[in-house]
Amino acid sequence: MYPAAAEPVPPRAIVPPLHRRLGRAGRQFARNRLAMTGLALVAGQVLLALLAPVLAPYAPSAIDYRAMLQEPTAAHLLGTDDLGRDILSRLIYGARISMGVSVGAVLGAILVGVPIGLVTGYVGGALDEALMRLLDSVMALPALVLALTIATVLGHGVVNGTIAIAVVLVPIFTRIVRGQVLSVKHNDYVQAAHAVGVPLPLVLIRHILPNVINPVIVQGALAIGFAIIIESSLSFIGLGAEPPTPTWGSMVQIGFQYLETAPGFVLAPATMIFLAVLGFNLLGDGLRDLLDPMSRGRL
Amino acid sequence: MARYLVHRLLAAVPVLLLTSIIVFLLMRMLPGDPVLMIIGQSQADVSAEVAERMRQEYGLNQPLYAQYFAWLWKLLSGDLGRSIISHQPALDILLPRILPTAQISLTAWVLAMAISLPVGIVSAAEQGSWKDWLGTIGSLVGAAMPYFLTGGVLIYFVAMRLHWLPASGYVSPFVDPWRSVETTILPALTLTLWLASTITRQTRASFIDVLQHAYIRTARAKGLSESKVILSHALKNAMLPVVTVLGIQLGSLFSGAVITETIFAVPGVGRLMVDGILSRDYPMVQAVVLFLTLVVVLANLLVDITYGFLDPRGRKA
Repeated sequence: MYPAAAEPVPPRAIVPPLHRRLGRAGRQFARNRLAMTGLALVAGQVLLALLAPVLAPYAPSAIDYRAMLQEPTAAHLLGTDDLGRDILSRLIYGARISMGVSVGAVLGAILVGVPIGLVTGYVGGALDEALMRLLDSVMALPALVLALTIATVLGHGVVNGTIAIAVVLVPIFTRIVRGQVLSVKHNDYVQAAHAVGVPLPLVLIRHILPNVINPVIVQGALAIGFAIIIESSLSFIGLGAEPPTPTWGSMVQIGFQYLETAPGFVLAPATMIFLAVLGFNLLGDGLRDLLDPMSRGRL
Repeated sequence: MARYLVHRLLAAVPVLLLTSIIVFLLMRMLPGDPVLMIIGQSQADVSAEVAERMRQEYGLNQPLYAQYFAWLWKLLSGDLGRSIISHQPALDILLPRILPTAQISLTAWVLAMAISLPVGIVSAAEQGSWKDWLGTIGSLVGAAMPYFLTGGVLIYFVAMRLHWLPASGYVSPFVDPWRSVETTILPALTLTLWLASTITRQTRASFIDVLQHAYIRTARAKGLSESKVILSHALKNAMLPVVTVLGIQLGSLFSGAVITETIFAVPGVGRLMVDGILSRDYPMVQAVVLFLTLVVVLANLLVDITYGFLDPRGRKA
């Protein structure tokens, strides 16, 4: 004879309340030194972008022909560029474009990619098959080349650059979400919701989305790092924000002409790009350990 | 195996067709008159009547799908259009540009493998050791380094301060093999750092995963040396995901050339694309995009075939 089934435990008793779960996750995250380094780097960049008018000693586009190509001095801590503009101020303002475009592009890609992944993964069939082939083809084009081509078609500018990067990133999110949906859509709670007549959009949003969102958050952080690289590449080639808007990529591009005499022109903005990418990569890795530990081996 | 190869080759065809449609549509969305793009002349050289006659001649008044097939047919017969700037066939301009890009990319690829496979394996085998720590930190830093920073540092210190290697330019191996090696090293190293970091991370993760399997425990239990366990038992299985990354990255190396060739003034396909974008020479841009896509699809095909050799289970799929 089978032993008597144990009294079912109400779910509330198993799952601790939200604030306690968040507290535990926060402590786990805080113990991860690399993740905290990432968080600090990202927070620094965000503050730089937000507080640019306060922090920058000069207006970023203020031209001063009497102070062209100066070495670092007390007045200009990182020197001046070929038009006498203060490099430190341009660097600080550059964080705005870099953060704005890359975060905007990733949010755009999530807003487009996640719903597509949810619906195609759940509905399946010919639509799913056709869309996946299309995304495979988009992903077959090298990311940077595709972004460059789209930016060429749209013309340069902050908004167009953001769109170009977002288009490149959409397939990443669609594929992740679709894969997750395929693995949870046959679970009992989804089938039950379906059986009692919950409409499809509600099933997707209330029952499936919460179970697929963690990898999206992790990938979102990593994708911002990737977007920063693409944005700086677009600016470097001249397809980014229009001059005189300061961007790190365009500063690097100008700097290369003066590399021998003033290496700081290239190295300062390039280091900012490096720190921003490093920050988001470390943050993404830390979030993965926290939210999606099963995928750690897959990278 | 032969069936598997044929199957894989056939599977690459729809991807190529779809990407060709994407490129075709993108190019049709470009600002400016497609007539000028096809005949490769600037606006000023063509009168309205001539443009209209051309439009009929080239079928630009036909529906889009008909235009696509006509375009595809030309493509397959090797006609990539003409450069708007030099009026030469785009293919003739593209072909000599492939050697520098391929030379630098493949050098970077081989260097990256030579660095990252041993580092990744040692990191995984001695998890938690100072070697692992060094490898992990190194690959985290390397993966975040933009080509501008690596390239800028290399040019400034190695070329401008130490004068060990040329700062820019390219010499073909058929002209001067030694100079060719010299001009290849810095751009290749720039690409290598980022690539090696990515592959090291994948190799380490993949080995850690494989080393937890029961057959590894068995191999150790029967008294095999650790190097034998890793080289003859773990390596082949752990390499599967690494091969995927290696293949995908071969394609991204070619597109990384867009940046490195601009920094190092290398006359390769990446530089050709940038010049095409800046001078609005769209047929040239299109030719480069198509070429790079072909490289990526071929690299993926190579991955699939290698997969078939490494993992007999995959051949049935």
